[in-house]
Amino acid sequence: MLAYTVRRLFSSVVLLFIGTAVVFGLTSISSNPELLLATCPPTRCGAEFRSEMIQMYQLDKTIPERYVSWLGDAVQGDLGTAVRDGRRPVTEVLGERLPKTLLLAIPAFVLTALIAVALGVYSAVRQYSVGDNALTAFSFIGISMPTFFFGLLLQVFWGVWWQEWTGTRPFYVTGYHNADFMDLVSSLTLPVATLMLVSVAGESRFGRASMLEVINSEYIRTARAKGLPERKVIFHHALRNALIPLVTIWALDFALLLSGSVITETVFAWPGIGSYFLRSITNYDLDPVMAIMVFTAAITIMFNLIADVMYGVLDPRVRYD
Amino acid sequence: MTAPLLSVKDLSVTFRSDDGDLTAVRGMSFDVMPGEVLAVVGESGSGKSVTSLAIMGLLPRSARVSGSAMFDGRELIGADLKQLRKIRGKDIAMIFQDPMTALNPVFTIGSQIVEAITLHNDMSDKAAWERATELLNLVGIPDPKRRVKLYPHEYSGGMRQRAMIAMAMANEPKLLIADEPTTALDVTIQAQVLQVIRKAQAVTGAAMVLITHDLGVVAGLADRVNVMYAGAVFESGDIDDIFYRTANPYTLGLLGSIPILTARVSDKLTPIPGAPPNLRRLPEGCPFRPRCVFATEVCHGSEPDLMAVNGGRHRSRCYHIDKVAEARAGSTV
Repeated sequence: MLAYTVRRLFSSVVLLFIGTAVVFGLTSISSNPELLLATCPPTRCGAEFRSEMIQMYQLDKTIPERYVSWLGDAVQGDLGTAVRDGRRPVTEVLGERLPKTLLLAIPAFVLTALIAVALGVYSAVRQYSVGDNALTAFSFIGISMPTFFFGLLLQVFWGVWWQEWTGTRPFYVTGYHNADFMDLVSSLTLPVATLMLVSVAGESRFGRASMLEVINSEYIRTARAKGLPERKVIFHHALRNALIPLVTIWALDFALLLSGSVITETVFAWPGIGSYFLRSITNYDLDPVMAIMVFTAAITIMFNLIADVMYGVLDPRVRYD
Repeated sequence: MTAPLLSVKDLSVTFRSDDGDLTAVRGMSFDVMPGEVLAVVGESGSGKSVTSLAIMGLLPRSARVSGSAMFDGRELIGADLKQLRKIRGKDIAMIFQDPMTALNPVFTIGSQIVEAITLHNDMSDKAAWERATELLNLVGIPDPKRRVKLYPHEYSGGMRQRAMIAMAMANEPKLLIADEPTTALDVTIQAQVLQVIRKAQAVTGAAMVLITHDLGVVAGLADRVNVMYAGAVFESGDIDDIFYRTANPYTLGLLGSIPILTARVSDKLTPIPGAPPNLRRLPEGCPFRPRCVFATEVCHGSEPDLMAVNGGRHRSRCYHIDKVAEARAGSTV
């Protein structure tokens, strides 16, 4: 297992390098600052500004040359400059924003996983019951509707309607507030709920399918034939098997949340990585865009690796030798 | 005469499905005496397994079960789950057909046996593990001390079935139900596993219901035989009754389809023509009539009862017992 993990780590690094090359190439050709400068009126972009930009983005060099230079800086921990953020280093800005994304991602991930497993088990054990059918309907709505819709819906409900009915506003509708702990929880509630709605819908479907397959297997009948109480049959014998395929889903979902939920953070004006990504794109701020994409790639590769290693831990049949 | 350990009376099982109700077992009645081996023989879909699952209360919710199954003075059909759980694994233990899928892949063999032991006995974990190792030794698993800690996928098929048998005999049950215990195994190890089952039965003194379609297995193990067809018993009797004094055309057909070692190469097996009936639409009269060479006008009327042959415990569901006996005497099978 150790040898496998080390081998996978090496190939992950190679994969990441390939990823950066692709992302750098795409970023460079999709938003050429040279062309942008050409359309910028001289009143706004003077000669001094132009030469500064050309020097900063090395626009006088070819894309491969720029990539090599970017890579050289990147491996030393320099991911460039956030031009629209006081020309501070990108790493510094990301360092401020990452904890806020984590604040959203971790509770959303943990609560989603717990609720999805609980709903999946319930649906599988009570297949085709009223409750299961209701959850199926809920899941399809959750999977089909876009995230921003739920975000806006929650904002309208708690920020407008609830206030009209009761005169109170229990949750912050936008922004990050941390005067005290309750303040923080209040500002976290709606964005976390938005992230969860969609993920719970998807994950509970996987949980249900996985659990159903296990429940109808013969070793579950063996467990019942031993005289085990149903609680132990379901939560010990069945669940342990049903969770194995969910590991991949969790790893990918968590990687997605960690790299910032662009839509949710933007809707709730949450100062995390996701909203910063969208802002940097609209501002043609290239270095942060590049940095966040590379970060996303690294996180995704890392969690895929973690998922594969977890497989070996959870399923005795899987051995990487 | 001693009281039967298990007495099944008029057991019926119906599955509801979108294409209509399917009656898999139609009014089964049989007794199992303490220590006795009863073989239940029949083709796929004749209701053998469903009968045993119904007795254990292990059928899915879509199954409707009626009738009675008295085990050791307790009614099993319709008993609440709490009472059934005390009997399952303790008084009645099961061995399933496919050892590849009947053991939980994520737990060690040892822990699955230990679970069965500690569930019904007040025993420390350490003692239970020792007992599990002892049981593996008893069923002929070499190096049981090491193998008790292995996972099912690290066992061969034959070893897994041995482990299943060890698990089934862990609580010295009064009744073992073995559902096609050798069907999924290589022919070369079927005999070994049967030997282990015989040993397990002898050690525990348990009675056994042996479900199989293999008449060779029956001949080697059983005291009595129930031949099933279309969800009902067609012939019931001692092993000699079934093999040497066959009184039912279906049993005769089964016997005719066994290969014989001493047969000449030119001799052909005699298959039973046709296919088992659709349980949703049984033919009028005797369900075996469309495939039966003895069938006459009377077989179209109503289904024959299970009738006594020569007044003994040997019984057969057929209007033409005499003709079958004549044909039996004339054949060389």
